[in-house]
Amino acid sequence: MNALFGSSRLSRNLIATAAWLCYVFLLLPSLIVIPISFGNPGQIEFPPRQFTLALYQQFFTDQAWWGSMVQSLLVATVTTMLTLVLAVPAAYALVRSQLPRRNLLRGLFMMPMLVPVIVLGLGLYLQFSNWGLLDTTTGLVLSHIMLTTPFIMVSVMSGLHHSDVSLETVASIMGASRPVIFFRVVLPQLKASIAVGALFAFLMSLDEVVVAYFLTGTKAMTLPVKMYSSIRWELTPVLAAVSTLLTLLSLLIALGIIALQRKTEANP
Amino acid sequence: MAQSGTASELSLPSALMLLAPLTLLMLAILVYPLALTVWTSVYPGQFSLQAYTELLSSTLFLKVLKNTFEISLSGTLVSLLVGYPVAMHLAAQPPSRRTAYLIMVMLPFWTSILVKSFALAAVFGNQGLVNQLLGFVSGGQINLPMMFNRVGVILGMINFLLPFMILSILGSLLAQDRTLILAAETMGAKPLRIFWKITLPLSLPGVVAGVLINITLSIGMYITPALLGGRQDMMVANLVDFYTRQTLDWTAASATAVVLLLISGLLVALLGKVRGASGLSGAVA
Amino acid sequence: MTVTPMTVTPAPASAPVAEGDRAMVELQGVTKRYGEVDALKRVDLTIRKGEFVTLLGPSGSGKSTLLNLIAGMITPSSGRIVIDGRDATTLPTNQRGLGMVFQNYALMPHMTVFENIAFPLQVRHLPKDEIKRKVEQVLDLIQLGHVAGRRPRELSGGQQQRISLARCIVYNPALILMDEPLGALDKNLREQMQLEIKRLHADLGITMLYVTHDQDEALTMSDRIVLMNGGKIEQQGKPDELYFKPATVFSAEFIGSSNLIPGIVEAGGVSGLSLRTAIGTFPVPAADFAVSTGDKAMLLVRPENMTLTGGPGVTSVSGRIDDSILLGGVVRHFVRCKDQSTIIVQELNQPDRPIAKRGDEVRAGWPPAHARLLPPSVPH
Repeated sequence: MNALFGSSRLSRNLIATAAWLCYVFLLLPSLIVIPISFGNPGQIEFPPRQFTLALYQQFFTDQAWWGSMVQSLLVATVTTMLTLVLAVPAAYALVRSQLPRRNLLRGLFMMPMLVPVIVLGLGLYLQFSNWGLLDTTTGLVLSHIMLTTPFIMVSVMSGLHHSDVSLETVASIMGASRPVIFFRVVLPQLKASIAVGALFAFLMSLDEVVVAYFLTGTKAMTLPVKMYSSIRWELTPVLAAVSTLLTLLSLLIALGIIALQRKTEANP
Repeated sequence: MAQSGTASELSLPSALMLLAPLTLLMLAILVYPLALTVWTSVYPGQFSLQAYTELLSSTLFLKVLKNTFEISLSGTLVSLLVGYPVAMHLAAQPPSRRTAYLIMVMLPFWTSILVKSFALAAVFGNQGLVNQLLGFVSGGQINLPMMFNRVGVILGMINFLLPFMILSILGSLLAQDRTLILAAETMGAKPLRIFWKITLPLSLPGVVAGVLINITLSIGMYITPALLGGRQDMMVANLVDFYTRQTLDWTAASATAVVLLLISGLLVALLGKVRGASGLSGAVA
Repeated sequence: MTVTPMTVTPAPASAPVAEGDRAMVELQGVTKRYGEVDALKRVDLTIRKGEFVTLLGPSGSGKSTLLNLIAGMITPSSGRIVIDGRDATTLPTNQRGLGMVFQNYALMPHMTVFENIAFPLQVRHLPKDEIKRKVEQVLDLIQLGHVAGRRPRELSGGQQQRISLARCIVYNPALILMDEPLGALDKNLREQMQLEIKRLHADLGITMLYVTHDQDEALTMSDRIVLMNGGKIEQQGKPDELYFKPATVFSAEFIGSSNLIPGIVEAGGVSGLSLRTAIGTFPVPAADFAVSTGDKAMLLVRPENMTLTGGPGVTSVSGRIDDSILLGGVVRHFVRCKDQSTIIVQELNQPDRPIAKRGDEVRAGWPPAHARLLPPSVPH
């Protein structure tokens, strides 16, 4: 510690205290929902005075709640698969070709990350109301493919930059055609980067609320949209159960990504 | 040597074939709706910039714009003041322990913004954990209104922004040559002096990037002000929603969205200058 | 040059001697330009079937460019490349029927050793049982049958490079290209692998084009050495030709060690020529190039052709011992001449050899027939 800012004990303690307050502030919201979710089903209560699974029961018996969760999982799964199918070959083409102006395309694929979501939400709302895609799963999946593309792009392109080009060269010299090289040499090397990108995309789609709020009504409503209106209008304690489920899912996905990233660092 | 070869290089036709599907989708689902937004803002029946002149004379729009900058800048400032010591704390840890702390920093990044908003309301609300504690300590005397007002928005915002700020500053702290500090110490410099003369100036690139990332991310915020703010804390994104849903004025909504797009485009360009084109992607992935 | 269209039929496992002088690869006036820089300047080169040819040269001399052109990783700016009788100038890499061994082995990390070697056969759609038989056969040949189920990264560098060789041999390519294949191995292993590659070449009769910057490796392995310099072929020939009859100062300096003494050509001596230098006038043997009195030229004498003991018919120059170092079987003396230039003399080490001390006055001598006259070096 003294290597960075001197050896004063006072400054060290001050910094550690400030840092720990911040860690608590960052962690608390993610963790506090867990005890609340097992508590009083009548009102949001912390610390909880009883232990019950009543809120989970409420969640899984109310079709409006679990139906929207099923919808969210469906949209996230389909989105992830389609984005992979579209973005992995595109990333490969961007990295392994001398296409003129390929930076322009790269910029296009990264753009959804840089444009405020509300602007995209409005644009898609205007567009889909013309195209009859409002409140449809198709419309939602299309927009989520667009929103999650940058995350898969970033991950796969970095995987390609770290992969060994000479393997592709040697496969070509041995007589392999381009598709054989792609499926048997390139994809196996990208497994971890693709998995990281896919987990990212899945989580992004699952948690996405602004565009979904603009595009869906009662028919295609996703869990985040249902949660958003619930926090806004009723603030029911069921939210604690939903939040706990979502947090656990996020945690699982995050741990999966960290494990995968460690693995790729260990065997480049 | 093989990098410049045709054996490892795709031919132009196959590259185009692989790029075409995603490019078409992006043109249809990204570029077209953005163009449609711009079009809607300037063509309500015939070409006119009236929507923009109306915005500029609308007290609601000007107030919301002022809110947006105030909230973004103060959120970023708080995030910087809180994030810097955390980055210093992380930089001082041995690598293995730093990873563990980093997971704590990254956890909010992985958590749904709705979960965080709900939880923050539970922690900082009128009957929340913090006010319960304050009430207990003060014997029921103190109850701070921290939700559904400016404080609530800023709390929600820094909870979202901090990971980006911390990672950005941490990067430039870790890149510093530590022998400089050892040398300064050997020459008898006091810790505070070392901080002002060496650590802080050398970390400025990370600070600037972190600040820009934070402003860029916060300027278009929608969920946090809607859920944790009061009526007075509307930001530009909420105004877009307001015009779209409440007044059904799509021209005004589009014009507002275009203004927001321009502001954030400017910030992204600035960020690109500071950190290279991958500025944001580096922070996210 | 007639171009007979033919399919890539790999050379049979032991090429008949009759095919020995047919061309496997022909480069005709090949130039490769990168922007303003010519990496390769109008190179003509023929590699015969079954031949082991080494491209030797310093880095940047164009040897890797030449290899990549033959492999099809880059296309020439001008000129023609013919492989096995077929114009391959713009032929895609995967249709050239070649094999290549890289310095970093380039084995697929996600495949086992068996799968790695089976890969080129699967690409050629061979039946499963034939693939199995061929892979096992080639694994036996390199004596690595016991690692068939392992991943490449579990093997040592030497084993990985042998697997990478096996992966080439297994599909019998017309030509195997090797790009500094032993560069990542330590000295002992490198020497062992040199012999193993030589053995495989002799047994299988595959044409090999080998790139290295290591002169010892080139001298050990090659049927023919092509010495490259500045994007051109400086000289080519059998290893002993390059060693004993270097045509240029560059060749002389790059292969073996050499004493080079500049001077002016004069009449005299047994051959009718002698060279007047700053340290004396010496008789020289007849030159391989056109030379007349008054021309500038270089005298080359290899250190191992020199002695300090003198004798009848030996030309010599006087000097003072600067240093004398023992290299095991040989001793190397550094003799300072009167013009302050240094001449290196290398003698066999013998127990009764008189010990030279720093400052000793000596005469460094050589039989005039062992000297060689070279044209003066032209700066590139």
